[in-house]
Amino acid sequence: MKMNRKGHVVWGLAILALCLGMGGEEKSWADEPCPTRSIQIIVPFPPGGVADLVARPFAAALEPILKQPVVVVNKAGAGGTIGIQSAAVSKPDGYTLLLALSSVTYLHEVDRLFDRPPAYTTDRFIPLAMLTGDPLVIAVHQESPWKTVDDFMADARKRPNKIKLGSAGIYSVMHLGAELFFRKAGLQLSHVPYTGGGPSLNALLGKHIDCAAFGPNVIIGQMKAGTVRPLVVLGSKRLDSMPEVPTAKEKGVDAEFYIWSGLFALKGTPEGAIKVLRSAVQEAVGKPSGSPNS
Amino acid sequence: MEETISNLILGFSTAFTPTNLFYALAGCLIGTMVGVLPGVGPLAGISILLPTTFGLNATSAIILLAGIYYGAMYGGSTTSILMRIPGEAASVITCMDGYAMAQKGRAGPALAIAAIGSYIAGTLSVLGLMFLAPPLARFALGFGPPEYFSLLLCGLIVLSYMTGGSIVKNLAMIVLGLLFGMIGIDQMTGYFRFAYGLVELGDGIGIVPVAVGLFGISEILATAGQSEKREVLKPKLRDLLPSKEEFRASLFPIGRGTLLGFLIGIIPGSAHIISTFVSYAIERKLSKHPERFGHGAIEGVAGPESANNAASEGALVPMLALGVPTGPIPAVLLAALMVHGINPGPLFIKEQPAIFWGLIASMYLGNLVLLLLNLPLVGLFVNFLRVPYRILYPTILMFCIVGVYAVNSSVVDVGIMTIMGVIGYLLRKMDFETAPIVLGVVLAPILEFSFRQALAMSSGDYRVFIERPISLAFLMLALTMILLALRSLIGKKKDWRDRLTEAERKI
Repeated sequence: MKMNRKGHVVWGLAILALCLGMGGEEKSWADEPCPTRSIQIIVPFPPGGVADLVARPFAAALEPILKQPVVVVNKAGAGGTIGIQSAAVSKPDGYTLLLALSSVTYLHEVDRLFDRPPAYTTDRFIPLAMLTGDPLVIAVHQESPWKTVDDFMADARKRPNKIKLGSAGIYSVMHLGAELFFRKAGLQLSHVPYTGGGPSLNALLGKHIDCAAFGPNVIIGQMKAGTVRPLVVLGSKRLDSMPEVPTAKEKGVDAEFYIWSGLFALKGTPEGAIKVLRSAVQEAVGKPSGSPNS
Repeated sequence: MEETISNLILGFSTAFTPTNLFYALAGCLIGTMVGVLPGVGPLAGISILLPTTFGLNATSAIILLAGIYYGAMYGGSTTSILMRIPGEAASVITCMDGYAMAQKGRAGPALAIAAIGSYIAGTLSVLGLMFLAPPLARFALGFGPPEYFSLLLCGLIVLSYMTGGSIVKNLAMIVLGLLFGMIGIDQMTGYFRFAYGLVELGDGIGIVPVAVGLFGISEILATAGQSEKREVLKPKLRDLLPSKEEFRASLFPIGRGTLLGFLIGIIPGSAHIISTFVSYAIERKLSKHPERFGHGAIEGVAGPESANNAASEGALVPMLALGVPTGPIPAVLLAALMVHGINPGPLFIKEQPAIFWGLIASMYLGNLVLLLLNLPLVGLFVNFLRVPYRILYPTILMFCIVGVYAVNSSVVDVGIMTIMGVIGYLLRKMDFETAPIVLGVVLAPILEFSFRQALAMSSGDYRVFIERPISLAFLMLALTMILLALRSLIGKKKDWRDRLTEAERKI
């Protein structure tokens, strides 16, 4: 009896292993018009983060088009580097995709600052589609003395390193975007990193920091309620949702910075697969319920 | 008041529609399951189910997702009590006395009091949410890095003063935890610390693998070394529910846990985990028989389990009143609203009364449902203990591995869990308490980061900690604690801790 029970367990494990093995069986897209097994989208951020919130509805919209399960896999860590790295070393067969934020374009450069070999290189990825894209907006608390970006810049020039800039973390999109603007404007602020966009919005509302750069939909509710005041948009033109806020270029600062999310395949993925994926993505985002920002 | 009542009527009429009733039930059920499974926490559960809510209206969506959130707090205690595996990080402390109760054949009462405590805490917190959300939320915003640092410092000192047993051993464990917590990227500069080239260690050691390893795996290892001598009893229904004395002993811990959990939950960035530790320490300090803690004191289950439930609802205060997410879970809940074109902000309650009051009403209902769901389950869960170890433990081990892997699809996490299991096993053999390690791992990054954020805010001026009133208050409290501890050193009078050690020797 005892032997028997053990036997069951062994068999169970063997079958499980077989199933897993079959899942990994290779079949290229080169000669097939459609995927034949599930596709995984690696999201290099934790569940509930900006990228995850784009990926999950997007994956749900993609499934009926590709007629295969599309699985979102969160591989968070090191500001996104871990997930991007794991995507970069996976098989270029079109079954593993990466959904990254704009930071994918510069995170590997951070390694250079510390004399580390870069965790990945951007030439490993082929862009399939940009799913969302918004210019950053630099905002201050409603009760702050700065009514316009001119006030702000004049004051920052007078008091270098005294005005506190908050961000979602060091080398985050919020950090680099704001620093780009201030560097181009010739200003020096002191940086206080937080552990995400939410906490830094908290800090701004609690007046623990003076300013921060956000994606527009993060602060639109606060703006309407009159708790934060957007000063400047880091885009090529003014935003419809805040038409009175000038762009950086209008103020003579040549800075543009977008927080975008994009879908990538790996270099070496068969042409046919790329084509199928691109048209599927197009169809998916065309659907009204396709993305939270649509 | 009249306005509140008319609003509540609006809320209940929203919540009582068949659809919303169904989603509240579904959320609570899923939440319980998510809580029971080790590793998979409410965050993962909510994120995975988020896309399925896009087809619903905003009210149903938030009712469902919030149900998962507070439902998980009910489920989390189950495996802690039965198997010494925290089903979710906020139930770590429940492992200590809950599991001890189970070993004494009192698993039923432990599970029942966890459910009842959660129910009371949940319901009272909804009341708090209803009446106090806007003023409390503004208070919460006053918590910046200096306040947070002082609070944590004060908390650590209070905890180490109040946690019983050998203070040296406890401190050693907290410090070990703090050391583990140092691993990872320095968030101020981006420098890798103690990672030895492993990029996966960049974000430090996660709480889930540490907790599951230190408690679950070490328990499995320890049991493997003992011969299986368990009395398999069919528990009588009477034994499943707490006795009168147990009820009486739990009453005040539940009340204190609720208040404490709710207040700690409101503070942005604060973890439920901390509220459970503080609640446990306070109950132990206030108890007439602190020596019973760790050996199956029902107060040690009732207090923390109430606290984590109250904290989960406290965390919704800033989110609903101001539209600011205080943690990852409220952030996902906010996102669920944004998908439906609702921009969360300070005007949310005014502009969307049906959603806010519908949610409030659904939470009253949900908590009741969870109580009714969990109490009958007690009988079922207790029966798990009758499954022979050779079948039960491999299954648990599998769930631990799958659960820990699933959080981040990381094999390194499974490795950390294994190593922590071995460390936990060795420490137990040497009579160390492992819960303070978890506390250290939780606190180290926040403590260090808030300290350095505060200094970044003040351009390196240490006066920032005493110039701000809330921060100063916490520091004064910490100083008082230290002086109190010193007093017993100077005076001849026996400290309560000495009495405790004596009492424990007698056992």
